[in-house]
Amino acid sequence: MKRDLQDSSSSSTGGYPMFGTGKKMMPEDSQPQQADAGVDELLAALGYKVRASEMAEVAHKLEQLEMVMGNAQEDGLLTHFATETVHYNPSDIATWLETMLSEFNAPPQPPNFPHPQPLIDNNAAAAAAADSSTITTVDFPHRSRPPHQIYDSDSDLGAMIPNEIAFGGGAESDSTVVDGREKKRIRTTTGAAAPPTAITADDSVSELTRPVVLVDSQENGIRLVHALMACAEAVQQDNLKAGEALVKQIGLLAASQAGAMRKVATYFAQALEQRIYRIYRISPSPDAFFDSTLSDLLQMHFYETCPYLKFAHFTANQAILEAFSGKSRVHVIDFSMKQGMQWPALMQALALRPGGPPSFRLTGIGPPQPDNTDALQQVGWKLAQLAETIHVEFEYRGFVASSLADLEPQLLDVRPNEAVAVNSVFELHKLLSRPGAMERVLGTVKAVRPEIVTVVEQEANHNGPVFVDRFTEALHYYSSMFDSMEGCGMTLPGSQDQVRSEMYLGRQILNVVACEGAERVERHETLAQWRARMAAAGFGPVNLGSNAFRQASMLLALFAGGDGYRVEENNGCLMLGWHTRPLIATSAWRIPKH
Amino acid sequence: MEMRTGISHLDEDLLFEVLKHVDARTLGLAACVSKQWWKTAKDERLWEMICTRQSASIGCGNQQLRSVVLALGGFRRLHALYLWPLLKPPPTASSSSSSSSSSTASSAVTVTSLPALPRDLILPHWGKDEVHLSLSLLSIRYYEKMNLNLNKRGR
Repeated sequence: MKRDLQDSSSSSTGGYPMFGTGKKMMPEDSQPQQADAGVDELLAALGYKVRASEMAEVAHKLEQLEMVMGNAQEDGLLTHFATETVHYNPSDIATWLETMLSEFNAPPQPPNFPHPQPLIDNNAAAAAAADSSTITTVDFPHRSRPPHQIYDSDSDLGAMIPNEIAFGGGAESDSTVVDGREKKRIRTTTGAAAPPTAITADDSVSELTRPVVLVDSQENGIRLVHALMACAEAVQQDNLKAGEALVKQIGLLAASQAGAMRKVATYFAQALEQRIYRIYRISPSPDAFFDSTLSDLLQMHFYETCPYLKFAHFTANQAILEAFSGKSRVHVIDFSMKQGMQWPALMQALALRPGGPPSFRLTGIGPPQPDNTDALQQVGWKLAQLAETIHVEFEYRGFVASSLADLEPQLLDVRPNEAVAVNSVFELHKLLSRPGAMERVLGTVKAVRPEIVTVVEQEANHNGPVFVDRFTEALHYYSSMFDSMEGCGMTLPGSQDQVRSEMYLGRQILNVVACEGAERVERHETLAQWRARMAAAGFGPVNLGSNAFRQASMLLALFAGGDGYRVEENNGCLMLGWHTRPLIATSAWRIPKH
Repeated sequence: MEMRTGISHLDEDLLFEVLKHVDARTLGLAACVSKQWWKTAKDERLWEMICTRQSASIGCGNQQLRSVVLALGGFRRLHALYLWPLLKPPPTASSSSSSSSSSTASSAVTVTSLPALPRDLILPHWGKDEVHLSLSLLSIRYYEKMNLNLNKRGR
């Protein structure tokens, strides 16, 4: 019996081994997972007694055990288990697991996610019952079938599914090593979060008198990525039936994952589904989706749960403050007014300027509100109150515009002897959805002759012409984002704040993947691309100073534990990223004086 | 009537004079002694001294700073919520250390650590960046609270 075990390592960006560039095809294993009464007999046929009512719990404990064994990371410990520890009645899986777990000394709780229900897939159950004794093991290193060929629209989907899915938490173990009827797959792996490395060879397996088979949810993770990529390709090739089938599969695979991976996959699956149905023209285009009030609300939660927006505001403000040094009348034009969260800190800094504050004027631009409430005015009123409290002379004007391109320089009413700053946080990229809009806006910006223009944008290229490339980029980007939110601990996992922040990102994912043309507004581009664009428009770079860098670093240390976040300086611009992946970039510009 | 004597029954003004000379931790502890002490220890002037005594100057006048900080929530809050946490190594959820976070936070905070001295004699020092950051965060907090109040009234 051949048992080639694959080194399940793949390259990683950040703590995310799933999205490596390796294209190894994973084996097809059928691991039926059922929650109904029939499973008792099935496992009993293999020699195990597990009550159906306990299945979920047993699966849960197996996952715990897998994680803990992975974290043990010492060969000594594992061989100790193999040879020294005495197990009693391993066929009673529930009790056996208890002993194993207690040996590990109260293993850490698995992350706070609702434990995936063992999926009841009738097809899988039926197929498994018919084929109960085999777990097919395929040779690992080479792909047995290239992805596109499997997903032939004519093929039987029912037959496809059981072969492909192995659920994290499946309960299968066997006390005998060799059995002509049954093939065993034995593997110990590290937990999903840690970089993968473990390989168990055949020889060590034979030493284990009571080997343990654990389903590798990391394998599912890699399978999940492949399914996502295959689906994107199918959609790009207009093979919509296959795309549909894959979306379903992605959903099932995603449910077997934990934490950030599951959320990202779910959002991407939904977005793919949306894209397919739009092409199919089954459901109407949900424009209500992009309701700006909802968007503002979600952004507030995003503001609270992770440091990206705070970083954006702090770094931009520092640049503006420095540009306003010595000026007695200042005017900020904010393209991204929203709730005005950026401005209290700037106003406070101006109030404490040596020599006293300048007179401060703020022009806020915002989209039209569906319920006709004048959100912009309300924000202005709050800021005016704050200004009064700290004795800063303040003037406010709000402009409603569905697109920044609708702005005329004269409207902005720039007065003589006024130092102007233009600020845009995550707004400029939207202009790329309509031809000519960007040029128009940059022209308007130049026309007001600003001292400084601060631009904060997502650091990613989500605007490439090829759909699959965009999709891949976005998958990497949002995986890092979700990872960072999972890891940063600013709020309790599962809290409303976190859920809504995730929704905020989910809407972006939806837009990048499902929309096209003028509707696709989340056209993020990299700093390098923005540099070229700004330079072409006649702007010169302004270096963000070390003040900004230090304060940003301190901000992270204070709020995010500082562990995974990195502030980087990049030729005068500042970037905030998660581990090695930069995620947002702040840059500053001015019109060079000739 | 019984005459009560002892430090816990000090005259308010005298207590104030004494508390002018203590450090933040002691001042915080003092507030827990009794109602009278609490009333005295939360005096903004004392906390202003704590904040400014060991902070780098940010260039503005004392009166200027005072009016802004008092308007935005006060020195006691500034210290408790932002200055004090900036002194400590940030709490980390994972097992990886605060040494990694201190490598990202290029902190200008220096805590003179002389192992021989009792803790109370370790003097904190806040640099300009810490002060600016703390003030910014205080103003954001004030603004956020404003939002909440307005929402409550509106509904």
